[in-house]
Amino acid sequence: MGALTDEKVGKFVNDNFVTSYQKVGTFKIVGNNKQGGNVASYFCAPDGRVLHCVAGPVDAATFLREAQWVVDTLLAANTSSKGEGAKFKEAFRKAHAEKLMNETGLKVEPITWDVETTTDKDALQYKDPSGRPLAPKLPPPPIDGPDVRLSDKEFNDRQKNANAAPGARRQEVVGKGGGVRNVVVNNQAIVHQLLAAHSMQKIETMYGSVFENILGEKVSTKPVDVVRPFSWVDKDGKRLGR
Amino acid sequence: MLDSDDPVRNFAEFKPVRTLLLIAVLALPAFAIDLPKKPTTCARHGTTIDFVESPKEAAAQAKKEEKLVLVLHISGHFEDASLT
Repeated sequence: MGALTDEKVGKFVNDNFVTSYQKVGTFKIVGNNKQGGNVASYFCAPDGRVLHCVAGPVDAATFLREAQWVVDTLLAANTSSKGEGAKFKEAFRKAHAEKLMNETGLKVEPITWDVETTTDKDALQYKDPSGRPLAPKLPPPPIDGPDVRLSDKEFNDRQKNANAAPGARRQEVVGKGGGVRNVVVNNQAIVHQLLAAHSMQKIETMYGSVFENILGEKVSTKPVDVVRPFSWVDKDGKRLGR
Repeated sequence: MLDSDDPVRNFAEFKPVRTLLLIAVLALPAFAIDLPKKPTTCARHGTTIDFVESPKEAAAQAKKEEKLVLVLHISGHFEDASLT
């Protein structure tokens, strides 16, 4: 269990976060085998608004780095916003755009207003078997292309690093002049792209975009609480026989 | 010692008994909080992280302890230990 069994990750997470889990989505049975299965880790304020997310499984060093970034950015945003909610939200979205640039060399414009999402009252809103609507797919802000402050070498180095991270894929971006260019993004790059517009939204509006748009998993029900998050161990971590 | 047949008057005048009763009443909440508590809901599930049983519980505890909340959304095939 990679990151979550690491001692340093455990200490940092237990010191700074209260952790829980939910089951979301389903998996397919193909022949006698289950296919699919994934994880998304949401770092939230106590009221459930998402500050950051790690999409998919990552190694301990990456998880620790992302968790540390949340804590550091929170402290910086708290200081700069001086307790003003709107400024705090703006600071967090700008921080995501900045992190995207630092890690991939790509530029995205942070959105400092909230996009209206679908609601229970929308006539064509799909509902899960329990009658509740699923999370909306939030529109990510467009990637503008390479950050013009970077030299070609700096941009290429960052793209190379991005290509080595989980979920790396090519994406076409249309520059402001209309030119099309292929760039490399990965799971975390798309998380930052999404959160540059939607961080500080409630987790229930976010999970659909993360699970379906980033991880490619089909979400068929709302997240549900489960007794055992990892089916191969019991509550005390003892491996179960098959 | 008590020169009246009126129990209320006797009680009011008998200060040592009053003091003892007052101490007993004041001590009661202290004993009450020592009653057996509901067992803690934290579990590690084979990881190094303490999990509480629901995000709602995590939110309440985080608010109390001035911490943030980490929620894992998991799906499907978790027998593959490399997933998490």
